Amino acid sequence: MDRLEVLKKEWQTRDQKFPKLSYSDIYPMLLKKSSSIVKWIIIISLLEILFWTLLAFIIPESSNEFYDELGLKGVLRWVNGFNYLVVAFFIYLFYRNYKKIQVTNSIKILMENILQTRKTVHYFVFYNIGMAIALLVGINIYYYYHQEKLIDLLNGQDTYGAIPAETVINKFFIYNFIAGIMIIGFLMLFYFLLYGLLLRRLKRNYRELKKIEV
Amino acid sequence: MVIFRQNCNKLRLLGTNQAANKKTLTKELEHSFVSQLEENQNIVHKICRLYTNDSDAHNDLFQEITIQLWKAFPKFRGDSKFSTWMYRVALNTAITLYRKSKRKVQTQDFEAISFKISSEEYDSTVEDQLKLMYEAVKTLGDIDKALVFLYLENKNYKEIASTLGITEVNARVKMNRIKGKLRTVLNP
Repeated sequence: MDRLEVLKKEWQTRDQKFPKLSYSDIYPMLLKKSSSIVKWIIIISLLEILFWTLLAFIIPESSNEFYDELGLKGVLRWVNGFNYLVVAFFIYLFYRNYKKIQVTNSIKILMENILQTRKTVHYFVFYNIGMAIALLVGINIYYYYHQEKLIDLLNGQDTYGAIPAETVINKFFIYNFIAGIMIIGFLMLFYFLLYGLLLRRLKRNYRELKKIEV
Repeated sequence: MVIFRQNCNKLRLLGTNQAANKKTLTKELEHSFVSQLEENQNIVHKICRLYTNDSDAHNDLFQEITIQLWKAFPKFRGDSKFSTWMYRVALNTAITLYRKSKRKVQTQDFEAISFKISSEEYDSTVEDQLKLMYEAVKTLGDIDKALVFLYLENKNYKEIASTLGITEVNARVKMNRIKGKLRTVLNP
């Protein structure tokens, strides 16, 4: 008989030395809180959705007035309406995916469902960053073609004071550009670190499982 | 009016009865779960030992598996054996869900790897080889480990495949490859 088969028999018949937990040892365990990866992913995902949804609300009133005077109010209202629809759709998708995560699924399906839930939130974040870039570019293009109005408005503010019009415009565009790049760079770094750490093991195991199927 | 009041009382009684029923139901569920887990705890211990390296982590993983089993227990319909159902949940927890936690778990110390001798005669070669095999399995990846574990537990390929979510053919091919590796470890 094959050595491995012998060992398999031995594995099953021999008792291994394990702690023997009694009923009263196990019972308190039911009341403890889980620290599973799914719990962390859900918490972080909800925070992300909340963050991006709230961000639309906390744009200061002064900047809204600024847009009003430039004649952008109507367009921005449409953009906002569209945004709410998208947020609602993502929350629905997220909830549907979350419900699919069942510990009684096969190992592969469980992994796929977790990764899928994560992916939904990723798309949500991509959408928001994309939207932010599109808005930034769109508004700046609009500014570019309505420079006179912009200079009038900016001259009313102290910060740009008595600088010649040409410089004001240059400065304005450069500031806008740098701020945009910095925010996006920061976000990318944050995501890279957070999910790199959280999903590393899951992704490695998923690759291992996929390799069996080639 | 009297009838109305009587009805009200009946309803109230029904309400308290339902609450009481629910409570006893939960108690029964808890009792049934804990006794079955107590009986089958060695399956969980084996998985913990394969997937962790010290007794603290072992106990922490045992705790997490218990939580996940308990959370899933209401959906266990009893159409398969409790132990069969356990394999899947426990492996899913060990492989995918588990994250080391800082939670305090009561620790019972136990020796590293040791098999109690059940046969009359002491066969040191088998004992050594079992240890050797255990060490070899521990160096495998998380998925391969699950495959070997289910094989050692005498699960057939159909069950192994459905637990992992792969086809039977793929499970067989992969297992044969791992067997080859283990044989070279056992017969250098």
